Amino acid sequence: MTSVSFLRRDDVRERVVAAVPAAVLVALVLAVASREPSFLGAASVRALLEGAAPLLLLALGQTFVILIGGIDLSVAVLASLGTVLLASWLPSAGVLAVLATLAATTLAGALSGAVSAYAQVPSFVVTLGAMGLWSGVALTVSGASTISITEGYDTIFWIRDLRVAGLPIAAVLAVAAVLVAAGLMAALAGGRLLHAVGRAERAALMSGARTPRLRVLAFAVSGLCAGLAAVVLAASQFSGAPTLADSLLLPAIAAVVVGGTAITGGVGGPLRTLVGALLIAVLRVGMSVMGVDPSYEQIVYGAVIVSAVALTLNRGTVGIVK
Amino acid sequence: MSTPALELRGVTKRFPGVVALDDVSLTVRPHEVIGLIGENGAGKSTLLKILSGVYQPDEGELLVRGQARRFTGPRDAARAGVGIVHQEQSLVGSVSVAENLVLGFEGPAVRGGIYRWPELNRRAQAQLDKIGSPIPPTARVEALTFAQRQMVEVAKALSVEDHLDGPAGTEPVIVFDEPTSVLDNDDTEVLFAQIERLRARASVVIVSHRLDEVLRVSDRVYVLKDGRCVAERDPADVDVQELYRLMVGRESTGSYYREDAQGDVDGAEEVLGVTGLTRAGGFTDVSLSVRRGEVLGVAGVVGSGREDLARALFGAEPVDAGEMRLAGKPVRFRSPAGAVRAGIGYIPAERRFEGVAMGLSVADNILLADRSPVSAGPFVDPRRRRELVARWIERLRIRTPGPATDVATLSGGNQQKVALAKWLVSPRLRVLVLDHPTRGLDVGAKEDVYRLVRELCERGLAIVLLADTLEETIALSHRVVVMRDGRVTARFDAPPGAKPTQVELVEQMV
Amino acid sequence: MSAAGPGTATVAERRPALAPTPLARRVIDAGPVLALVALIVVFSLVSDRFLTVGNAGSIADQAAILLVLAVGATFVILLGSIDLSVEGVMATSSLVAVLLAANDRNGNDLGYLAVLGGVGVGALFGLVNGILHTRLRIPSFMVTLGTGAIGIGIATVLFGGQPPRMLDEGLRLWGTDRVLGVSRLALLALAVLLLGYFVQHYTRVGRTILLVGGDEQIARLAGLPAARYKVWAFVLAGSAAGLAGVLAATRLGVGDVQIGSGQLFATITAVVVGGTLLSGGRGGVLQTLVGALLISVLANGLILAGVDPAIQRSVQGVVIVVAIAATVWTQRRRTRVVK
Repeated sequence: MTSVSFLRRDDVRERVVAAVPAAVLVALVLAVASREPSFLGAASVRALLEGAAPLLLLALGQTFVILIGGIDLSVAVLASLGTVLLASWLPSAGVLAVLATLAATTLAGALSGAVSAYAQVPSFVVTLGAMGLWSGVALTVSGASTISITEGYDTIFWIRDLRVAGLPIAAVLAVAAVLVAAGLMAALAGGRLLHAVGRAERAALMSGARTPRLRVLAFAVSGLCAGLAAVVLAASQFSGAPTLADSLLLPAIAAVVVGGTAITGGVGGPLRTLVGALLIAVLRVGMSVMGVDPSYEQIVYGAVIVSAVALTLNRGTVGIVK
Repeated sequence: MSTPALELRGVTKRFPGVVALDDVSLTVRPHEVIGLIGENGAGKSTLLKILSGVYQPDEGELLVRGQARRFTGPRDAARAGVGIVHQEQSLVGSVSVAENLVLGFEGPAVRGGIYRWPELNRRAQAQLDKIGSPIPPTARVEALTFAQRQMVEVAKALSVEDHLDGPAGTEPVIVFDEPTSVLDNDDTEVLFAQIERLRARASVVIVSHRLDEVLRVSDRVYVLKDGRCVAERDPADVDVQELYRLMVGRESTGSYYREDAQGDVDGAEEVLGVTGLTRAGGFTDVSLSVRRGEVLGVAGVVGSGREDLARALFGAEPVDAGEMRLAGKPVRFRSPAGAVRAGIGYIPAERRFEGVAMGLSVADNILLADRSPVSAGPFVDPRRRRELVARWIERLRIRTPGPATDVATLSGGNQQKVALAKWLVSPRLRVLVLDHPTRGLDVGAKEDVYRLVRELCERGLAIVLLADTLEETIALSHRVVVMRDGRVTARFDAPPGAKPTQVELVEQMV
Repeated sequence: MSAAGPGTATVAERRPALAPTPLARRVIDAGPVLALVALIVVFSLVSDRFLTVGNAGSIADQAAILLVLAVGATFVILLGSIDLSVEGVMATSSLVAVLLAANDRNGNDLGYLAVLGGVGVGALFGLVNGILHTRLRIPSFMVTLGTGAIGIGIATVLFGGQPPRMLDEGLRLWGTDRVLGVSRLALLALAVLLLGYFVQHYTRVGRTILLVGGDEQIARLAGLPAARYKVWAFVLAGSAAGLAGVLAATRLGVGDVQIGSGQLFATITAVVVGGTLLSGGRGGVLQTLVGALLISVLANGLILAGVDPAIQRSVQGVVIVVAIAATVWTQRRRTRVVK
């Protein structure tokens, strides 16, 4: 008897699905490097990681929401709002401005979660509404223009300039956030509850899990991550702008699903998103190395999202798909 | 004698772990009204699904007017002339009565994809006229009352006679699934008058648990029990009690339920008590009390309110009035989470959706409700987690390849043990509400559950039991309360050796 | 619920749904109309420029493209699904139409065939949406989020850095000309509405969409090919979005990637606020007309009242959530699961 026969087909499938993104990432890196050897050089890696940090943070937050079976369409807009808030508050409040920004985006996320959980409205509707709400707020607060950060920039300059072992601090911290999140999910007694809610919410509920609170928590963390992304973005752009991060919504969702977290919930986690975010980042750089017109980027994201969702979808648990 | 309108010969249907129908044979003659009775889980719904083509029999034959048929779906069954009046109703609320009536058989009323409403409504009106219903065909179904919808169901079921793939004048078989369970008395009378009229043009099968009604309208009655057809009776020769005896069948065997292990609870203190508990549309003014080590059985038919009560005790349904006490202290739960933290566990009837978390491992499921026994501060202690899970897998003899196995791959009985283990690991567990804990389990797995119930009593738990059968209720319980129409109608002591009889309970249930 | 085993329905599902009393029903149905009337009254009090013939004309103008989009989206929402690709489809179709008609980029001059091209592109998007959704069983919001991005992408490629201008004067008239004080756009939108009503009420496609949205299980058991009609709903929505893109191009005179910006919200809000349930099975294009008017009156009135246009986005975002929360408020249960 071979060892494989001990595994059910689903286990095998599960492992393959988990391993594929990493394999694709390696293949993609090799492909790009063979075309453009300097791609693996220090400067290029640094630029890649720097660019990937906000994406990774947004994707990390999105991971928790998707893990419980929901979706947060407002993360990117929230991050934009975050940059606006930070840019307007920094001159007067300094470090407090950073904390206030994080608190604001966290609360905004929690609000979406609360409406979804307690009014029992599908999360994509709530966050679609939130997207409109916060983008309107960002436009109003900023007067629909970019706010340059001049005064108070010294509070956040290190996010852009500091290096750890030659790597940009923002990327290092973002990866650290992923590892901490993954570690907590493994080590906390209730660390598997998000998976339980995603896989079988009724069963979790009927076992005493406070599922509405978990939902609020997931969306709040998503908001917090959007705030962190906003800080990184504002630091790297020296400014806040009402649509600065808007284009990151699709890449962030793509990163989560490409990493292997199923849109149906209950399968996946932060580590997979790390792989997924790197994949998207390399893809983006790779496309320009390969000479692909940046105009095609959206087409690629759209196609990547649909095919990744199709591949990772857990069809066993869904009856009628709407 | 003429060819039977419908005949089943040795029909058997198996599901993983259960034989739902075992060699069932029955005959329906033209213009006959047949009653089909049985307890929950006796196989009635499986039989219905075979008649409507949702399931296909594993063995045996289904004959319609003497011809063997194998239905591929409800449409196919309808073509053969078998129409079902569903209990859960098969009408779509978003469209009109007329569209529901002609659903799938629009014929000339739809040409080239365009609806010709006058023709469609005319055809629907013709169906409604057959049963003399005043409901306008243009009314939207969701605007109708439940009784009106039932009438539309009847008209829809009757419409099969227009699409029969037999010679003109071929008569259909109309099957009613628990037709009166949600009707009040007046509507029930209207329905029975309807059935009498139907007799002239069709054969009728009535599946029901309301024995008095079945006796009243049927020419013959078949009794299903444990998936077998155990009796065929002429209503003139039997009464309700006799039918019930046939339905619940086997003489209670004390050893099967380990009645000898039933502990003495006299003088034990109350763990859970409720007074005047009321939930609009569910149950009214329910008072009961469960003591340490006691099993309180709650008996009642579908619609008696006992399921709602069980869920309300667990915080899964809100209550509108009344009080709950846990160990003497007043409690009020706003969610199952509150009940769980107070020490109440619940084994739901819907194991696959609410009992175990499909897709999660056995270990994750066992620790789903309470992780405090394996926690070190906010963290989990992997060694203790491993040991605890292994211990409970062994104690409950859960047959699984390992703790990491997806619980969805286990048999129903083992899933149920996982669901029980989930509560038993919790040191704060004081009350266990068992809602049909043996539903869908095979005999061996049932016995395991009975053994466990006794052990849990010894451990000092208080148990509220909603059993699948009366037999189970009586044998396992220290005391039994009977519910009807949302109210408690009787209470019985059930000490070993002096148990109430099923007939005594039934008299209070129906 | 699966039909695979001898499972039973939950207590909640077993309990028959009580038909609401006719009065309550009527109030709920009349809600959007009452809200529309209330809005009109409030705005006429706030601004004396509101209740004028000229302003009514400009509201009809603003509502026209929205109405076209919303009529199409109604069919998808009647299924309980959603189409988030509206803006991407509009972007692509506007560019396709402009580039097929007489324009300053290439030598094409297909006249009205260019309109057909734009609508066809939309229909194609709808077809792809429907097929991906039904065949691969991917939730519709996910499919259309992806294809919407693809639409923006295709538009970006066609756009090539500078908006191509539409030079066909005949087509331009559709976006700018007025007949008896009413813009041609508004008349066209009215025609689309009537067509939508016809489809919804008199065709098998429309009736089956309503049926499948009401109860897919029953529809399937009755032998209806539910998947095929779902695809139809997406094709209708896609075609409408395609047409809307073309109309926007005739009005602005250019094809643009951003031409549909903000329309997704407005569309979904219009459909839902009009009274079509997001869970499917109830509502229709007439309700959507009320919804589209509500949104347009709100937008118009807020501007006249001097409210920052940026805030309108926020208002629409809140309205969409509140409207949906209000319609599902009574269905809340402790054990209900909504993702």
